[in-house]
Amino acid sequence: MIESLNKAFCALPGVGSKTAQRFVYHLLERNRDGGMELAKALENAMEHVKHCSSCRTLSEKDICNICANEVRDSSQLCVVETPTDIHAIEQSGIYKGKYFVLSGYLSPIDGIGAAELGMDDLEKKLQDKNINEIILATNATVEGEVTAHYISNMAKQFDIQITRIAHGIPIGGELEYADINTIAHALSGRKNYD
Amino acid sequence: MNKVDLTPAFLIHRRAFKNNSLLLDFFTYEYGKIRLVGRGLRGSKTNIQMFQHLNISFSGKGELKTISNWEVDDIPRSLKGEGLILGMYANELISRLLFDQDQHIKLFKVYQQFISRISSLEGRFNHWSLRLFENNLLSELGYALDFANDINGNNINQDMNYEYQSQLGFAQSHTGKISGKLLNQLLIEDIDNIPNLEQLKVCRDLNRQRLGFLLGNKPLKSRSLFFTRG
Repeated sequence: MIESLNKAFCALPGVGSKTAQRFVYHLLERNRDGGMELAKALENAMEHVKHCSSCRTLSEKDICNICANEVRDSSQLCVVETPTDIHAIEQSGIYKGKYFVLSGYLSPIDGIGAAELGMDDLEKKLQDKNINEIILATNATVEGEVTAHYISNMAKQFDIQITRIAHGIPIGGELEYADINTIAHALSGRKNYD
Repeated sequence: MNKVDLTPAFLIHRRAFKNNSLLLDFFTYEYGKIRLVGRGLRGSKTNIQMFQHLNISFSGKGELKTISNWEVDDIPRSLKGEGLILGMYANELISRLLFDQDQHIKLFKVYQQFISRISSLEGRFNHWSLRLFENNLLSELGYALDFANDINGNNINQDMNYEYQSQLGFAQSHTGKISGKLLNQLLIEDIDNIPNLEQLKVCRDLNRQRLGFLLGNKPLKSRSLFFTRG
């Protein structure tokens, strides 16, 4: 039983058998209540959390809270690679529109093409006349850029504004330590000072 | 090859490996295609990017070596639009067709030239540059064609038309779509001597047929990156 629990903990990223062993003994010896709570929460989540049928993020309901929120701006759609990206953007508190999660990026060598990322679902979503702007918030990597390029080509057939999140010097960062590509992006995407 | 210091390379692919590492496929000047582990590189703020000439150091005793250091030896380059997809296509060709650690010095130079062309030029120029890269790739793999002579050993006549006979070469044909001029341009490999649009398409189809023979029934996924509807 202890052995199987040990193995189960190894399913977590960054947890090897040594760390798993520490978790197991901690729960069994010091925190049985916590262990029971963890077991129940895990079982509950694994059974009930699925993908939102509208934006494909993780949600316990058929439509997630963000999609169901009528106060949010349905005319803006922000496309991200993973559900954790939504969390990061939400923490900034600046975006009030809706999302679409790709669950990855286009990677031909790995065999991941448009179909695997639910591009058909996204295309159907864009047919919605309410959407005025699509914000491409894929990562600032080559793969993220390819994905953004594909989506922008797809979105061109609809009458909507296509925007890409800006890349540049991080707040609190120093120019001296930024890499040349970031500096080049920051300069080419400069804005009027106001 | 336990330790290699600063060898020229291009990153052609990367994927997540374990918790915070990356598996990195490089096309290097000295060692051809090679796969390395980038320990702890996942999630680091400035990651190694594709389409940039790099100098990389790596070491290790086993088959899978670890990248220890890398520096960018290139101008800032961010490919956009079609150029980006052509670059991904070339990377997929390298990944699919080259054998690990087979040295391809000439191909490396052609790839380098191709990458610098597609970041600055558009349309016809990019496609011609890609065709020359494909030709060099096929030659390096032992599938070179004779662009100077036809299958009967006669010199290619620039005013005649030819057809391609699989694995053999070119045969004179009135109905053939391949112009003698195109074959001459393929022979000279002058990057600035670009065929017209129609002959560029002929060249694309020719290379597609030649590559299809090597790729078998698993087509290149990068072709699907071109959004064609609408």
